[in-house]
Amino acid sequence: MGRMLTQIIAVTMMNLRSIPGRIWTSASTVVAVAMVTMVLLAFLAMANGFRSTVQGTGAADVAVVQRKGSAGELNSILTREQVSLLEEAPGIARSADGKALISPELYVVVDGIKKSSRTKANLPLRGLGALAGQVRRGVKISSGRMFRSGTNELVVGRAVSRQFEGFELGRKIRLGTQTWNVVGEFEAGGSVFESEIWADVAVLQGLYQRGSTVQTLRARLVSPESVTQLKAFSDGDPRLKLDVQAENAFYAEQGKGMSDVILYLGWPLAIAMSFGALAGALNTMYASVDARMREIATLRAIGFGGTPTFIGTMTESLLLSVIGGVIGALGVYVFFDGISAATLGSNFTQVVFSLKLTPGLVLQGVILALVIGVAGGVFPAWRAARVPLLAAFKEQ
Amino acid sequence: MTLIDFVAKNLFRKRLRTILTVVAIFIAFAIFGVLATFQNALNAGVDTASADRLMVTNKINFTLPMPIAYVQRTRSVEGVETVSFANWFGGYYQEPKNFLVAFAVDPQTYLDIYPEYVLPAAQRQAFLGDRASMVAGKVVADTFGWKVGDRIPLKSNIWRQKNGSDTWDFTLAGIVTGETARIDTNFVIFHYEYLKETRNCCGDTFGWMIVKTKSPKVNDSVIKTIDSQFANSPFETETRTEQAFNKAFIEQAGDLGFIIVAVVGAAFATILLIVGNTMMLTVRERTNEIAVLKTLGFTSRRIFGLVVGESLLLAVIGGAFGVATAWLLSFALQNATGGNFGPMTFTPGIAVWSFILMGLLGLLTGLIPALRAMRINVVSALGGK
Repeated sequence: MGRMLTQIIAVTMMNLRSIPGRIWTSASTVVAVAMVTMVLLAFLAMANGFRSTVQGTGAADVAVVQRKGSAGELNSILTREQVSLLEEAPGIARSADGKALISPELYVVVDGIKKSSRTKANLPLRGLGALAGQVRRGVKISSGRMFRSGTNELVVGRAVSRQFEGFELGRKIRLGTQTWNVVGEFEAGGSVFESEIWADVAVLQGLYQRGSTVQTLRARLVSPESVTQLKAFSDGDPRLKLDVQAENAFYAEQGKGMSDVILYLGWPLAIAMSFGALAGALNTMYASVDARMREIATLRAIGFGGTPTFIGTMTESLLLSVIGGVIGALGVYVFFDGISAATLGSNFTQVVFSLKLTPGLVLQGVILALVIGVAGGVFPAWRAARVPLLAAFKEQ
Repeated sequence: MTLIDFVAKNLFRKRLRTILTVVAIFIAFAIFGVLATFQNALNAGVDTASADRLMVTNKINFTLPMPIAYVQRTRSVEGVETVSFANWFGGYYQEPKNFLVAFAVDPQTYLDIYPEYVLPAAQRQAFLGDRASMVAGKVVADTFGWKVGDRIPLKSNIWRQKNGSDTWDFTLAGIVTGETARIDTNFVIFHYEYLKETRNCCGDTFGWMIVKTKSPKVNDSVIKTIDSQFANSPFETETRTEQAFNKAFIEQAGDLGFIIVAVVGAAFATILLIVGNTMMLTVRERTNEIAVLKTLGFTSRRIFGLVVGESLLLAVIGGAFGVATAWLLSFALQNATGGNFGPMTFTPGIAVWSFILMGLLGLLTGLIPALRAMRINVVSALGGK
């Protein structure tokens, strides 16, 4: 056993030391594997960033109430009467003076100019009810102040001012016929809310000819379990019959769509490219074996077994592919991790998110690289293990 | 033996290596072809836009409405030939996942303004004559197996009927095909009047106007006139060419063009290395032979040609298979996506580009090895033996 081990180490070292002699061929395998890993990880980081932004949105103890079958806040509508009925609903938390902690909201789409492409894109302008501050707890004004009700002031999410033009603090911005003052910027834990613009709901109702209707209602619940109570109340009243969902569940559903599309693109592309890289790896390893034919045969002649030669070649192939995989992962980490991107979310408005590489994703990339290394090494290694002794005397 | 025979014979001496290299090239060209098809689908709206068509939307955002009076006022603008208008329906068939691109439109003018939507005369007559009828694009009709004459209920996630129902019943009066394969037929249209009279809100307002101008030359003045006549009203407008509107619409999804170029770039950079290396190995192994050829009187130029010819042949064999595969995959992609990203068409342009790239790949990968082969010194190559 010990002798076998020494042989394996000896042959492996010979393999590795001979790499500089074939530096360009070996480098091409490394680069090919690095490219594959990079493409895969860039897509995975994109899908992951989008999903974690959307799915990290919303609290368990806030309910979202919409009209049934609305498929998103944009299409929902609630009447003044329905809002009044909901104020009396069980399960909703109340303020010290007994007011129900609800925020009737409007959700309209306005145009913003994307900094990256200088084209127009849909931004959500949300009208908040007077008590919204107590309903939405995870939000913090990071600079400036909150808008005053009844005025044309607005606050913008951090991501909006990062990705879109003209939303800096203190700026005046024209949305349609109205000029708004940007008086504050808010943070909301990296969630979708940071891609929104907020103003007073009553002001929006007037500007957008909505009368006394709103689109959705957010309600702070006594506890996360109270959502069933509120749901039962809504189902029991024929005037309501609305969709009641916990806010976190509402967003969890939306995270899938776009991130699935990204994954469906990323994996097939990476796998297709892997076959290209595999072809390259095989060529490199066959070349490596061919170049050392005489050497290997000589080793066999002096009593080395087939197994050490096999393992030596396999190790060389795995090493090259792992180096490629690590370079690819580093490349994504350096060039893509954390960069901000924006796409259309399920509400037909922009969701700003950051590409997010995790150790789990890097592992997937390195595993793909290893698979290429194994597949690219096994056949050449097999050939190496069966080099005929006669090859030692053959002219090269 | 001709020169080409010679090149081909050389190519298949190391059969396994050649096959592997061809596979790498094949993959890169298949990726290129598929992504170009995908980009074709996304850009169909931009590429097939008509130069004399303008889109008029609410200035705040195209999801917000405009009053019907705007149609008449726009028709009287100097330089305008036809005006049509449409309204988003938020439609789906049976279940929300069967999402439809459904518009309530002014039927006559809509069909006039989009001559690329081909509808048989009898079906057109039937559609215009029946207010509760609709016309579906071929992609949609195929997806759901609809036949002309079928009764089809469509649901809306936006509108409600006066009786509270979210379902409208239609008769399928016709099926629209595209004038060319690149025309997107993933839509359903029906009469705006029917929606207006049955919905429970919103009066006589609609989503956007499509304006056909007398000539693209008057576009600028028409755009100015339309937007300025509605300025300072509660519904200001923004008029853009159809092409600009469609381009902005796609770019909402993000910089897809960049992603596609980056992936194709990565794939080609990879094979460039792989193929370049194979050619280097090949030349190195054949040093002696090349020296022999030289002693036989082959000029350096001819040697250069032999090596580049070999790399070109490699690129063309792998590339042609890749292009053919991408062409076949384009049909599968069309079926798999149901036209949701636009019509997946493998245009001749993609094939032409592929062959240009094959040429470049062959030249680039052959260049350095060929120069090396040219410079092989006969004496030192053969003398060492």
